[in-house]
Order: sequence, then structure tokens, then C-alpha cells
Amino acid sequence: MAAAWTVAAWACAPAPEAMTAEPDRDERSGGRLVASLRAEPQTFNPVTATDNPSRTVIALTMADLVHTNRLTQESEAALAESWTASPDGRRFTLELRRGLRFSDGHPLDADDVVFSFQVYLDAAIASSHRDLLIVGGEPIEVRKTDAHRLEVELAEPYAVGVQIFDSIAILPEHRLADAYREGRLAQAWGLSTPPEEMAGLGPFQVERYVPGERLELARNPHYWKTDQQGRRLPYLDKVVFLVIPDKEAQTIRFRTGEVDVIERLAADDFSRLEASGAGDYALHDLGPGFDVHFLFFNLNDLEDGGDEDLAARQEWFRSRGFRRAVSLAIDRDAIVKLVYQNRASALASHVTPGNKRWHHRGLPPPRRSLAAARRALEGAGFSLDAGGRLHDAGGRPVRFSIVTNSGNSERVRMATIVQEDLRQLGIEVQIAPLEFRALVDRLTKTFDFEACILGLTVGDDPNQVVNVWHSTGNGRLWRLHRTRPEPPWQLEIDRLMTVQVTEPDGAARKGLYDRVQEILAEQEPCVLLVSPNVLVGARRGLGNFRPAVLEPLTLWNVDELYWQGNDAEDRP
Amino acid sequence: MKRSASPRPALAVLGALYALVLAAGWIAPYDVHEQNRDLAWAPPTRPRFVDAEGRFQLRPFVYRQVERPGRFGQYVEDRSRAFPLRFFVTRPSTGRRHLFGVDGEARVFLLGADRFGRDQLSRLLHGGRVSLGAGLLAGLLAVALGIAAGTAAGFYGGWIDAATMRLGELFMALPWLYLLLAVRAVLPLDLTPAGAFLATTAVVGTLSWVRPARLVRGVVLSAREREFVLAARGFGASDLYLLRRHVLPQAAAVVLTQLALLVPRLVLAEVTLSFLGLGVAEPTPSWGNMLAALRQVHVLTSYWWASAPAAALVAVVLSYHRLASALQQLLGKPTP
Amino acid sequence: MRHLLRRLASGALVLAATSVLLFALAEIAPGDFLSALEVDPRVPRETVEALRERYGLDRGPAERYLAWARSALTGDFGYSFAHGRPVGELLLPRARNTLVLTVLASLSAWALALPLGTWMAARQGGWVDRLGLGASAVLLATPQLLLGLGALLLAATTGAFPAGGMTSLGFAEMGGTARLRDLAWHLALPAAALVLGSLPVLVHHVRSALAEVLDAPYLRVARGHGVRPARLLFRYALPAAANPLISLFGFSVASLLSGALVIEVILSWPGMGTLLLQAILARDLHVVVGATLFSAVFVVAGQLLADLTLLAADPRIREPA
Repeated sequence: MAAAWTVAAWACAPAPEAMTAEPDRDERSGGRLVASLRAEPQTFNPVTATDNPSRTVIALTMADLVHTNRLTQESEAALAESWTASPDGRRFTLELRRGLRFSDGHPLDADDVVFSFQVYLDAAIASSHRDLLIVGGEPIEVRKTDAHRLEVELAEPYAVGVQIFDSIAILPEHRLADAYREGRLAQAWGLSTPPEEMAGLGPFQVERYVPGERLELARNPHYWKTDQQGRRLPYLDKVVFLVIPDKEAQTIRFRTGEVDVIERLAADDFSRLEASGAGDYALHDLGPGFDVHFLFFNLNDLEDGGDEDLAARQEWFRSRGFRRAVSLAIDRDAIVKLVYQNRASALASHVTPGNKRWHHRGLPPPRRSLAAARRALEGAGFSLDAGGRLHDAGGRPVRFSIVTNSGNSERVRMATIVQEDLRQLGIEVQIAPLEFRALVDRLTKTFDFEACILGLTVGDDPNQVVNVWHSTGNGRLWRLHRTRPEPPWQLEIDRLMTVQVTEPDGAARKGLYDRVQEILAEQEPCVLLVSPNVLVGARRGLGNFRPAVLEPLTLWNVDELYWQGNDAEDRP
Repeated sequence: MKRSASPRPALAVLGALYALVLAAGWIAPYDVHEQNRDLAWAPPTRPRFVDAEGRFQLRPFVYRQVERPGRFGQYVEDRSRAFPLRFFVTRPSTGRRHLFGVDGEARVFLLGADRFGRDQLSRLLHGGRVSLGAGLLAGLLAVALGIAAGTAAGFYGGWIDAATMRLGELFMALPWLYLLLAVRAVLPLDLTPAGAFLATTAVVGTLSWVRPARLVRGVVLSAREREFVLAARGFGASDLYLLRRHVLPQAAAVVLTQLALLVPRLVLAEVTLSFLGLGVAEPTPSWGNMLAALRQVHVLTSYWWASAPAAALVAVVLSYHRLASALQQLLGKPTP
Repeated sequence: MRHLLRRLASGALVLAATSVLLFALAEIAPGDFLSALEVDPRVPRETVEALRERYGLDRGPAERYLAWARSALTGDFGYSFAHGRPVGELLLPRARNTLVLTVLASLSAWALALPLGTWMAARQGGWVDRLGLGASAVLLATPQLLLGLGALLLAATTGAFPAGGMTSLGFAEMGGTARLRDLAWHLALPAAALVLGSLPVLVHHVRSALAEVLDAPYLRVARGHGVRPARLLFRYALPAAANPLISLFGFSVASLLSGALVIEVILSWPGMGTLLLQAILARDLHVVVGATLFSAVFVVAGQLLADLTLLAADPRIREPA
């Protein structure tokens, strides 16, 4: 069976001379890895991809100049063999590796890189990467100095450094230049594009797409990386993504062995797979990841006053004592236990312990205290009536609704716990699970909500959350619409977040970011709840499997994965 | 050969179920929202008569369940102290009388607890109010609409008939899921979960008018041509009089049978909706959202008591079906 | 023939009305396909706005409907935002897959329901009848979703069937019979779940249709004259009960399709149901409209087929019109 597969894969590989140039493949080589996707990818086009399945696939078919190692969270040389930065931090010189070829055999040179950045920065295409390549209000400038050397100039010093190049896929100019000139680059490389019309620098290339069912990727024979023994990577011949929309089905098909790797397991499923442990798989609890769940109140400035009820409730929400009391009353340990079966951690800051470089160790995780919560409420002018219900200074009973997205059962469960916790303070909470897009419409357009439980995947660098914490950011969902002046602490956060962008000294930058987290912990514009652990699993015998808490969690080193005892076993 | 089935047994079972559910506040030992966070997925409490020393006790008692250290959802009984089961107790927290309960820190969960340590029995009873009530309401609505549309179509014929029937085809072809999604999204947030559900129920009911309408139309069509109706028309009877006096009584059998068939289907619709997160929202209990826990198959295999609502559902559906077939035999003319 | 044409015309009208209604509903429901991107901190606002313009979502509802209608006439049925290609092209292979599943399930369900219902009707009140009624009530009370999950569990514990999908990985390299065998192996579970879901209703109707006929005076007379029970059943009762059952067949297509939606999602069958559910949740409007229209076509075709069969089977209907 294994032999048949190998033959089949060779037979359809495009460039025969590449094979003869590889006498160095050995027992590690060969085999097939099956992973799963919740939905079909929308596109193979790295410029326009915005959905997770597309990003997952593109991470395998394309490559970047400098890559962030998902495990160490440090930058590593990728297509660029080396780089230097000017002392003022405004100029990088990158040296491309020699002899690199796209998967179709076409050589890579500096023109491809210049072309790629031109495309990403084109305002008409509006790539989602464009934002990241604009520094100090100016697009970065990428110049070719010779066939393998490039110069990149920034308008101001940029603390992120070469990490700016991570995940910016280098495009084949010879394949896409025509489409770009004719203005249809955004539509290029869809799922119906024949695989032979695409080319990339990643370890795999698209081989076959079976609509609604699966995507088959084959080894890219021209992939540049070799292992320490000089063997050409990747070891695997094939990677297959099965499309499995149902989460339960995904877990079951992992258990039956149809799927080799599974990520983002729910805690319930993880425990169950662990309990039925006889399976030939290994499970990994990687600890807190980059996802955080939080509760926030509607602090938007509604000029027409909006709903009278809402206006009165916003008075409470704007009171720090009220927010503090809510935060103190929430039993985060119960969330950790009942929602995540102890596979999560209560949060002190949005930067979880999983973020090695930026985690603030000095912030204690919040402790529940109903007494302290009641004191905070008293201090803010609230009082209890005889029936144990809370009233504000104006005698209005305190009640509000929490919206969350109905598709996420974990958030609905959190809301249920919060509801019961707040009832003990005399606050009546209604839970309104809404369909996600309807929810977003309320959060970003009509501002018709009171409180909301939502999650966020915080990027690894502070720059990726400027959007969320800066007063002008479009990710600051609790106060997107503002007509009144910002409070002093928000102005301080704005200043810190702006300064850190250009701070070249790593330690000083961490100090600035730590200060931001301290202010947030004190003011609690949003009440942090928990961060779930990253739970993944893989078939036993998958060599070099080193899952990370940073996306892509399991397949980030897919080029190094191999099946142990490949020749002995009849693993397909 | 033919046994005349009586609708009485089915009616009795249904009556008992509805009575249980209506008396939920009194029978249920706990508040449906009361969480016991150290009793997540606690198994059903066993009422006992024989104590640790082997002596028989006239008054049943229970032991407290304690979570095994470090093992989520696994419990042992603490036999050091027995808690007698008391009847007609007044709960201090609510000041209301309940059929039974225990004192102290023990809990009596006759049908186990759910993920938050809430009493399944209490939730089952209270959830039945929502599920059974909504099914009945939606069924009545559907039948009322069906009678109106079917009568109009059958009695007037012509383009009214054609338009109604084409509209019916349209409704049958539409994915009702999409409609519900749209409706749920435009409802105001302040609506209590029960209120939101009533609205959803109304939509489900509105969507189910087609089949009763077709049947009523059929009856009306045939009744219209009967001699006595033709004769009455000859005597100058008005449309309304004809409908009320001669045509609709003929449809009564069909309508009642349809109702008995529709209600269980609409109760089931609530279950499907809750599975998809569109039904009654947690934490208000309904059979649908309680069953939604079974979406994770391991809940069914490790916490069997979570499927109690399924058993209740089977009982309801079975009774309604017996009722329908008994009605069919009793009132003649069965459905197509 | 005239009848057929009229049915076709009214069918087309129903389809057009459906598409208008769906567009209207999408207009009422807040948010659109791009809403999800608006809270994704990785995607800047400008990208969302550019996409909105590219997809034409910034235009008025009437204008969008007309644009869609024009493209529907060319067979494209609009453009899928999520898949970046014309809906027609996207739907065809999936409609075929759904058809394979539902036609098979429908045929098997009827093949089972006819003898079962007949048997129960012939032994009314007997233990077969009671058992059948009890079992069908239990099945009827079981949501389709649980049936699907049960099938999944069965696949997981026995390993005898694949836990989802339509073809094995090596399908493209297989020969003709191997392909057919592979397909049948994958079809078994989803088809079984669908059959179980639709069987109780069918059995119920077959039983009551036959029971009514068996109770008719002429059959009582025939029985009195000593006609053998088997001959009575097959020669007289079954043909007489055929009419309502043929109409029921037309209806059963619709319920099978909605049942297939859930089963397809759980068992990852690459059909229209999976596509439609994802499209509904993602607000991929043109796919929703396209898939709904396709299923409406199935439903209308099912009814048409039932009508034609009725016409062929029953001379009484043929005459006036």
C-alpha cells in the first residue's frame, strides 16, 4: 500500500529532474498526513485570504522572507538567508538564498519580492496585510539592489523589526503579473484554479481539490529547506485536509484514525479522548494560548441618548466601582472548572502566560470576593432593597442583558455562570445569544447592546493589539463611537501604545507594555475572564511533532514531520 | 376484526403529563437556576431505606455526594451522615412549599444534575412547560391559519385556490431555518428568553399551515358539491352561513386529527432549533436545550441521565400519535 | 400536456417568489457576509470596505436583486463571496451528491415502508402492529440530529463504516467497480440514518391508507366471499390505496431534503446541505438563494412526478381536468 502511494505521488510530480537530484531521501521520507478543516478554504490567494482555513493551507503552500519560529517565538531566516538592520532601525538589507525555485521550477529572484510587496501595498487590492506594512503612516519601500539583495526602508524606526516579514508570502511574478496588470489579482487563485497554474515556495503544493470533501497537497520537490543531514525537506509526500464541518465528527474521526492531527480540541473532548486512552494517539495540553474571553459593557457615546433605559444603564457601566464589583463577583475558577474542565486559566491581563515575551508576571490573577464587590457597589452609590435586589442611587433596579454569539457554547456557558454570580449581588441578568453577524452588527453599527461576552485572539506582538486598546482603534468594541473626551488613563494608554511602536530597546518596550496592562487591570474597561488551554492531538509515531501555542498550532513545522518506522509499518 | 380504539388512554397520559408540568413549581424540589458548582454532572441520588448499620428506616434518606478529588464529574457518597427525605417542605430561600426536599448541605437529585450542578428533575418539569406549551400554541396557530387558507381556497376556488396552493408550495420549499435566523436576529434583546421563544413559536406555527390547509381544502371541495349544500345555496343561503353550518363541521375531524399530529412535530421542531442554538436560550430550561447537551456524544455515554428529556419526548409523541389514530377511527375519514 | 405546462409555469413563479423572499429576509436580518471580518483585529477597516464594494454589498437591495437575477438567467446564480466563484458552478457537483443520497434513501425507505405498513395494516391490533407503532413513535421522537450522531458513534465504535465523507482518499486512482464499492460503503450510514428518519411517517401513512381500504364495504364483501387474504391484499387493497401514497411521495421529497441537511453536516457528506448551512451561517446570500432554489426545484419536481404517476395510474383523474 505504501509503495503504491509513493509511486502514484511520484508519477504526478511535475519536474522529473528534481527527483534524480535527490539521492538523499531515506527511511524518514514518504507517507501522508491527514488533517482536518472546519470549512473549505475560500481561496489559495495569500493576498486576499482572510479566513482561517485559507490561512492554514496557504501557510503550507507559500513561504515568507523571515519567519517567526512558533515554538521559540523568535525570528528565523527563511527565504532571506540573512539580514542587517541600520543603527536607526529604519533600513533593512536582506540577502536572498541562492538557487531557490518556485514549485513549478521557476527560479526566485529579487523581482518577485519587489512585485509581492507592490501587490500587498496596493490600495486598490486592499489586502489585509497592507495595514501591517504601513509604518509611521507611510508604506514601507522595498528596493532591489541586485538579483538577490533587497533594501527595505521604513518611514520611522519600528520596534517590531524583521518580524514585519513574517507570514508575508512571496508571490511568483511570472504567474501573477498578468492578472495584476489586468486588475484581477484579487480574484486569481480561487479554488477552481487548476493546480498547475499556481506556484509557491512552501513545502507543499496543491494537487487536487475535491469540492466539499478534501484538499490534497503534494510535496514541493523544489522546497528549499534541508535537515541537518542535508536531506531535502519535507519528509512527507502528501498532506490531505478533510473538510469536516461538525466538531463532534472531527473528534470522532480523529479517534477512528481517519485524521492524524487535531487542534483546538474542546476541553470536554480532550478529557474524553484521554479517558478512552487505548487509542494510538498522543494528546498535548500546551497551557494557555493566545485566546482570551472577556466581558465588556457598552461605553459608546450615543449622541441622541438612544434608548432611555440604555442611557441610564450606561451611567452604571461608566462607573469604575460598578465594573470592579462585577469583576470581583465573577467566579472565574468555576468557569475554568465547569466550562473548561480545569483546562484554562483565570486572567489577570489579556497577555496570557502563553505569550512568552510579553506576559506580565507581576499581575496577580483576580480573586473572587463578594464582600469586596458589595463594598465597591456601596462606594459607587448602589444599595440593596429588602428583597435583596440592587438599586442605583436613583432607585432604579439594576438589571442588564449580556449578548454573546449563539454558535459558541462555551461563551453561553460563561454567561450562565456570570448570570448566577451577579444574581448573588442582587443584579438581574438576561442572556441573549445572538447569531454572530447579528451580534457584530449591534456591536459595530447600531451600538444596541448592554454587555457582551466575546473572545479575542491576541497577537504575539503589542503592535497587533494597538487596534484593541488605542482610543482610535477599530477593535475597541466597548467604545467604538466616541464624542466625549477620553478619560486620563485612556490617554495614557494611547501614549504608551504609540511610544512602544518606535521603542527599539526590547526591555524598555516591555516596560511600556507592562504599564498598559497595569492600567487596564486597574480600570477594567473590559472584564477579563479566562484563557483556554491549547489542546491538540496527533497520531503516535508522528516524528518531530512539536505543537505550539501560536498559529498555526500543529502544522507550523510540517516540513519536518515524518512517520517513525515509515518503512517497517504499512502506514499509507 | 376492527377494534374501536378509544382516545381515552392517550388523553389520560397527556393530561397527566400536562398536569405534572403545570404543577412544576410545587413538585420540583429546586429552583431551575440554582447551580451547585461542586456537583457538576452528579448522578441521580438514590433514596435509601437501609442505613450504614443495616437497619431499616421507615423514612427514606439520602447521602451527600462528594466529588472525588481531582476527578471531574466523578462522585462518591459520603456515608457518615444520612439526610432524611422530607415531604411538603417549605424552602427557606423561596418561602414556597415543595413536594419534597432534604435539609442541610445535601441535595436530592432524582434525575441527576447537569453541567452546572442544576437539578435535572426540576429543569425537566419546568422545561416541559416551555416545550409542551409552545408545541400546543404553535399547533393551534398552524391549524387556525390552515383552516382560514384552506376554506378560502376550497370554497372560492379559481385564482384564490391557485394562489394559496402555490404559496403553500413556496412555504414547503423554503428552508425555515433561514427564516428563523432572520426573525431571531431582529427581535429586541430585552425580550425574556420565554418571550423570544414565543415569537419563534409563532414563526414555526406560521410555517406549518400548509398541510392542514390542503386537507381542509379537500374537505371543503367535496362538501361544496354535496346535495344538501347545493340545495341550501339554492335557497339563497349566504357564503358565511354555508361555511359555518354545513362545510366546516365536516372539516372538524380532519382538523382535530391534524392537530394531534402537528403538536408533537412542533415540539420536536423546538428540539432541533435548540440543537442549532436557535431555540429557547439557556439558562431557561426547555427539553430542546437540555437535549442539546447530547450533541456531544460522550455526554450520552457517560451521563445517561442527561437523556431524560428524550424519554419524556417519546412519551409525549407516542401519546399524541395514539390520540391521532384513535381520533381518526372515531371521527372517520383519515388523513392522506 | 396542458396540465404539465401549467405546472411548470407555476413552478417557475414559485421559484421567482422564493428568490425575492430570500433577498428580502436577508435584507431584514442585520449584518452581512463581511460583518465577521469587522471584529477581526487582523483585518483593517479599509480591507472590509474594499471587499464590500467588490462584492457589491454597498449597493441597494433592488439593484443587487436585479444583478443577481441577470446572472441567474445565465446559469451562474450570482457569485459566492465565501468561495469566490459562480454559485451554479459551485452547486452542481453538490446537488448531484445530495441527489445520490436522497434518491437512494427515498427508494429504500419506500421499499421498507410498503411491506411494513401493509403487514401492520393486515394485522391491526396484533403484536406486529403494536411493535411497529411503538418503534415508529420512538423514531419519530428522535431528532434527526441524534440519528446522525448515532450513526457516527456506530462508525467510531465498530470501524466497519467510514465516519463521514463520500469517497476514500485513493478514489481518483480506483477502477470502475472499486469506485462503486467505495461509494456504496460511504453511502451506507448516511442513507440508513435518513431512512430511519423518514420511515415512521411513511409506515404510518401506508398503514392508515391500507387500513381504510381494508375496511371498505367491497373488501368486506370480498372477504365474506372467501377471497384469500393474500389475494385480497395485493390484488384489491394495495392498488386501491395507491393514490394517497403517490401524493405522499411528492411530499416526502421535501422532508427528506431537510433531513438530509442535518445528516450531511454531521457525516460530512459533500452535498448541498453542508453548503447551505455554512452559507446561512456565513450569510453567503447568493449560495443560500441558489441552494434553496435547487432544493425547491427538487420539491416541485417530486410533486410533478407524483402528479404524473397519479395521472398514469388512475384513469379517473385523466378525464376532465
